[in-house]
Amino acid sequence: MSSNRWLATGNYFTSYREEQRIFFTSLDRAVMGFFLLCLFVWPIFIDVDNKYMLVIDNILVAVIAVMGLNLVTGFAGLISIGHAAFVGIGAYTIASFSRVLGESHVLLTHAWPVMIIISGMVGAVFGAIVGLPALRLKHLYLAIATLSFQMIFQWTINFMDFFNQGQTISVGRVAWLTGTVSRDQHYIFWYYAILVFIVLTGFSVRNLLRTRYGRCLVAVRDNDRAADAMGMHPGFTKVYAFALAGFLAGVAGALNAYIYRGVGVESFTLHASITYLAMAIVGGLGTLHGSFWGPAAIKVLDLQVEKLAEWSATFLPANMNLATALKPLSFGLVIVLFLMFEPRGIANWWRIFRSYVKLWPFRY
Amino acid sequence: MTQLIVSGVTLTFGGLHALSNVNITIEPGLITSIIGPNGAGKTSLLNCVSGFYHPTKGEIKYGDRRLTHASPHQVSSIGIARAFQNLELFRGLSVLDNLLLARHQKLRYNILQAIIYFGKASRVEAENRAYVEKVIDFMELELYRKKTVGNLSYGIQKRVEVARALTLAPKLLLLDEPMAGMNIEEKEDIVRFILDLKKEWDITIVLVEHDLGVVMDISDQVYVLDFGEVIGSGKPKEIASNPEVIKAYIGEE
Repeated sequence: MSSNRWLATGNYFTSYREEQRIFFTSLDRAVMGFFLLCLFVWPIFIDVDNKYMLVIDNILVAVIAVMGLNLVTGFAGLISIGHAAFVGIGAYTIASFSRVLGESHVLLTHAWPVMIIISGMVGAVFGAIVGLPALRLKHLYLAIATLSFQMIFQWTINFMDFFNQGQTISVGRVAWLTGTVSRDQHYIFWYYAILVFIVLTGFSVRNLLRTRYGRCLVAVRDNDRAADAMGMHPGFTKVYAFALAGFLAGVAGALNAYIYRGVGVESFTLHASITYLAMAIVGGLGTLHGSFWGPAAIKVLDLQVEKLAEWSATFLPANMNLATALKPLSFGLVIVLFLMFEPRGIANWWRIFRSYVKLWPFRY
Repeated sequence: MTQLIVSGVTLTFGGLHALSNVNITIEPGLITSIIGPNGAGKTSLLNCVSGFYHPTKGEIKYGDRRLTHASPHQVSSIGIARAFQNLELFRGLSVLDNLLLARHQKLRYNILQAIIYFGKASRVEAENRAYVEKVIDFMELELYRKKTVGNLSYGIQKRVEVARALTLAPKLLLLDEPMAGMNIEEKEDIVRFILDLKKEWDITIVLVEHDLGVVMDISDQVYVLDFGEVIGSGKPKEIASNPEVIKAYIGEE
């Protein structure tokens, strides 16, 4: 054991296992634990409007989806512009069950964690199938292949009676130990549910990244020729990356279906795909915590723009809807600015901030 | 110990004969050098062995396994490792990560164990790390362990390249110009590593190299390629006095 387990100074490793820990010092672990605890207890002390709770829920769902996108695009270097379709696959898995069994079947309302995992698996299967072109295609060509999947998905949903031609398919209220979750508890209940899913998937991905199943993704991104010579099957690795992304997207989709208590195709369009990609870029491609920054930043930006538009309505003519104009504008502007000035995303700011705090009060 | 036998290998790209009817036998436990002027087909030959190219005709056998149509990851899994001529490192990663990566196939745990991490995966990873440390120690890379590979000097990167091949725990190591572009000291280091590898690690080495001084000093067996054909083979001394080889290297009067 190292001599000092709380500070980075005087903390040295005596075994390789210590070097591979997620948290190097007990302080790091304590801070993380405290942070997680705060995430779980704050709703008890602060009363949040349902409208804002929905935004928070949306952010958290997007975090899971973007974590998947980050694995395939950030870590494995395969651009995917069909990610919303994978999320949609997850949501429509729930919708299919709702269509076949009825919206309040016990499977949907009581076994919802199982349903969410099943949706993830269906997403993974579709991810693997869509990943198959990655055996042959690279870079932009692969991006187009994923785009075509997005198109196929939208067309299929829009033209199939089974999926109500893209109109909302409703999903029943879920039940918990205390009985059916009521209307005013709905969003806060799902906040906790998603939080649990995020903590589980977050730590799983973190663990994955420090084992061979995560390293092979980075190897294939950096140099797939060398990865091949080092004993990894590049094609298989790429398909596996898509399957992982599909799984997380599927989970996110199922959660989305449960939050809105319904599934409609408009949440899974090309625009949503691009939004996910933007979130990944703004957050920081190729970093795990980037998947948390990105969705938060984009959604908060959306909210602020809405507020600005509302405020401007007090002195602008009523027929001039500023929000519709400002939303795409601000969204596009943020992406362009990030690509130009901070391609490594908010994750990089976090890195700079951390090293600053670590060295404070010294400059270097 | 297993022999690598390349028999009658021909490799054509359209009308271009990169290799024609090449017969080479790599004896276990020796340092075999392949030399020849630029464009003679040395790297093509290594690519054939390591599975990046598949010969148009002929056969490559390692022991009793046919490698003719094997892909690179299959070749590496049976104990043949390859260091590239043009650096093919994972540039964004640290030296340590580059080496850890190379043990991909040797790590035996499944994806669920990886997600849980505690238990099997963490134990295997610690063993993996210990093995990598052995290689780092041998290649004298301790100083650079945590440095990003892309920022290191060329000589060190070349050394990392060799180290990464070593991490695969190969029985046969293919080195493609490991000393190209190095100064005399760095060359001496690499030569020392190669000799130690042969003696201490019992690794058979195939060396493609332009520095004839080095080749003649350390090789047990030399093959000379020119225009895709083997024009001479034998002990370094025999090669040095072979008129065909002299002709290929210095030209005719």
